[in-house]
Amino acid sequence: MEKKKSKMEELLLKNWSFPILLALLCAGVWGGTHMLYVHGSGMFNDLLAAQMFVSADSAGDFMTLGLFGLGYLIARMLEGPLVGVLDIGGSVATGVGLGLPSLCLAFGFTLPVENFAVALIFGGVIGYALGALIIVMKNSMKEGVTASGANIMMGAGNALGSYLGPLVILSACNYSIGAGIGALVGAVLFYKFDKPITGGAILGSMILGLIF
Amino acid sequence: MELIIIKSIIVGALVGGAAAAGAARMFHAPKVQSMGSFRTIGELNACKGDPISHFTFGLGFLFNATASTVACGGLSQEVHHRIIPNWAAGILLLKNKNVEETMHNPWKMLISGTFVGIVVVVFLNTVASIIPESLSTVASGVLGPAADWMLSPVMPLIFWLAAIDAGKSTGITATITGILAALFIGNAVPGLVLGILIGATIEEKGFNKAVFIMMILTAILLAFSGYFTLVLMA
Repeated sequence: MEKKKSKMEELLLKNWSFPILLALLCAGVWGGTHMLYVHGSGMFNDLLAAQMFVSADSAGDFMTLGLFGLGYLIARMLEGPLVGVLDIGGSVATGVGLGLPSLCLAFGFTLPVENFAVALIFGGVIGYALGALIIVMKNSMKEGVTASGANIMMGAGNALGSYLGPLVILSACNYSIGAGIGALVGAVLFYKFDKPITGGAILGSMILGLIF
Repeated sequence: MELIIIKSIIVGALVGGAAAAGAARMFHAPKVQSMGSFRTIGELNACKGDPISHFTFGLGFLFNATASTVACGGLSQEVHHRIIPNWAAGILLLKNKNVEETMHNPWKMLISGTFVGIVVVVFLNTVASIIPESLSTVASGVLGPAADWMLSPVMPLIFWLAAIDAGKSTGITATITGILAALFIGNAVPGLVLGILIGATIEEKGFNKAVFIMMILTAILLAFSGYFTLVLMA
């Protein structure tokens, strides 16, 4: 059965609409980073990334974080055109949302992170450029880089998540006795009922850490 | 507070619409370049076009996202990987159960995703801003050191060991670029990431043009950051 596609659907499946969609996404994600920087909440990334950003802000050293994000961005940019799916967690959330703003801050260029309108424009322009680059790469360099390198990193990246729980528990033990015991109880309960240990540890340490 | 809500509406609409449309394009990949992630496409398919499954799946991750936002201001990647695509699809599927006419249609997903993005982001950011100050002090006191340890040494070690396990040439290139990055950048991860890509490509395809380009990019990155490290230290 031949289904009829609407005009807008066809337009949005074209090659040239990809950079536009990526521009919208990057503008929003960069705006989220601005919100974390100014209002303390809103980055489109995991707890760990947001916490690293806040730590880097208080330490005044954004260089490591910026290059860490840039590495992710480059890796995902190489992988995206090869497999046809750009991983927005690595490329946009970590690369564009965490890495590039950190690089801007590392070089003392604070305007794109401090000003909301500039943040949106900056994110949008960068997103459009990246999207266009991906389409060009998709059309030109079909073979060359193998996807297995990206798979290795994907595996390592997924393994990272399982380390966070134990790290949070140890950190809670250093913070205070209450937080440590809370993290212990939360982690055990969450583990028992097949929920992520990290969530239990954080929840438990926050509740008991607040009381004691 | 009004400012936070207005900004949340704007970024929520941008991210929601784009992420949902990008997810719809995934069903047309690799012919059409899409954006999302492999786990998103797997999970969208796993719900088999049942709107209730999509809603409950997204809701489960909304709790994670809320906890993360309250703890340290990160909305979590669940928002664009899971909540927005699944709820956007769920809304469309309420009216029409045919996934090809709904979930696979980027235009319809763009519209419902925009709506979902606004609601979710406004909710998360306002929840975060009304929690007591003392709670976030505890949260950052506990999570701060954990995040620092993760950045170094845990993350470099995991990537390094993954590279070594992946074969000789990947192990060697990643070790070289990783240590150089640790010296010049202060953290081995950016070097390891690039070293893994270079090494794995050499392993499978030999020295080709792409390897050469990546090596030059890596060298420029290392030289550039090494220069800045020296300048900043001096």
